Amino acid sequence: MNSPQAKIDIDSYEAGFLLGLYECMVQIREFEEGVKFLFLEGTMPGTIHQCQGQEACAVGVCTALEPTDWITSTFRGHGHALAKGLSVDEMLFELFGAATGCAGGKGGSMHMVNMDKGMIPSIAIVAGGVPVAAGMALAFKMQQTGQVAACFFGDGAIAEGAFHEGVNMAAIWDVPVVFICENNQYGASTHVSKVMRAATIAERLSSYGIDGRRIDGNDVIAVYEAARRAVDDCRAGRGPAFLELMTYRRTGHSRRDACHYQPKPEREQWLENDPIVRLGQALIEAGHATTEELDAVRKHILTSFDDAVERAKAQPQPTLADLTTHVLA
Amino acid sequence: MLYKFKMPDLSTTGDEVDVKQWLVNVGDRITRGQAILEIETDKAVMEVESPVEGVLREWVAQPDTTVGVGTIIAHIETAGR
Repeated sequence: MNSPQAKIDIDSYEAGFLLGLYECMVQIREFEEGVKFLFLEGTMPGTIHQCQGQEACAVGVCTALEPTDWITSTFRGHGHALAKGLSVDEMLFELFGAATGCAGGKGGSMHMVNMDKGMIPSIAIVAGGVPVAAGMALAFKMQQTGQVAACFFGDGAIAEGAFHEGVNMAAIWDVPVVFICENNQYGASTHVSKVMRAATIAERLSSYGIDGRRIDGNDVIAVYEAARRAVDDCRAGRGPAFLELMTYRRTGHSRRDACHYQPKPEREQWLENDPIVRLGQALIEAGHATTEELDAVRKHILTSFDDAVERAKAQPQPTLADLTTHVLA
Repeated sequence: MLYKFKMPDLSTTGDEVDVKQWLVNVGDRITRGQAILEIETDKAVMEVESPVEGVLREWVAQPDTTVGVGTIIAHIETAGR
C-alpha cells in the first residue's frame, strides 16, 4: 500500500476520464454533506450512515464495472448508488419517503435500488450482501451471461457467519464475484484490530483460496486499476476476487454517533488524506484542470443538489393503497 | 433572514436531550457545519453542528436544561443560501 499522501499516478489516462472520476467523487461528497444538513435541519426523516472520505472506493470500483454488472451494497450505500449511476433525484426522493423515490418511498436511506442500473436494494444487515452476491454470481455463471457481481461490505462484516459462508460458497463454485472490503477501520465503534488477529483482511480471503490485495482506498486510480484486474479475472472465469481498500470513516457510524472513539491524531491524519483533494492536485499538476475549473465542478453540483431538494420536498408521498403493493408474503 | 434552528433528532432512543454548554456566543459569526452547542443524549455527549451560515442572534436553549427534539434552540441570522 502507498503511504497516505502518495501522489496519484494518472499518467495513463485521458483528462476526460479523470475529470469524470473527480466529478463523481465530488457528487458523492456533496450529496452526503447536503443530506447531513437536511438531517440536522429536521427536513429529512430517519437516520443516515454516510461515506464522506470513502468516495474513491465506490467510484474506482463502479467505474471498472460494465452497466450490466451488478452490485450489492450496505447501509452505507449512497456512494455506491451514485457511482453505479443512480440519479440524485431518485435517491433524494427516496430519502424524503416519496412515492417517486427509487424504492417507492418504502426503503429510505439504507435501501438504495435501481434494478435497471444493476443495483439490488442495498442490504442493511451487516455482511448480508455476501451470500446474495455469491448466489447472484452463481446465476451469472450457470446462465453464461458474462456478468460480474461486485459485493461491497465493511470491515465490520468480516467476523459475521454470513461472510464466511458466502465467501466460501463463492470460492468453491469459482463464480464471477469481486468481494470489496472498504476497510474504514471501524465497525460501528469497534476498531478492526479488536475483531481480527490477522494483520490484513486479505489474509482471511486467501485462506478460502481467493487472492486479494490491500490497496490504498483513497487513491481512486489504484482502486480502479485493481478493480479492473479483478473484474477482468472474473469475466475470464478466474473468479472470485477480493480487494481490501484501506480508507477511513470521517463521520460517526450514523448521524447519532459522536465518534469519540476515533483518536484525534488518527482522525487528523486521515482528514488530510482526502481522496478528492488528492485527485484534484494530480489533475492540476498535470495541467488537466485549474483550481477554478475544479471549483466550478463543485459549485455546479451544489446548485443541482439544492434544486433536487426543492423537487424532493414537492414529491407525492405513498398512499394507503401503496401499503399492500410489492409485498411478497 | 432569521433561521430558527430546531434541536436535531440526535437521541438514539428518547425524544429529549440535555443541553450542556454553548460553544459560541451571541453575535458570533458561525459557519455551516460548525459545532455550536454541546448536548448529552441517552448515549453520549455530542456536539451539534449548525446547518446554516450566519450570525448567532439568540440562544433559546439554556445550559443545564432538557429540551425536546424539534424545539427551537437558537436564532441565526442568515444571508440566505
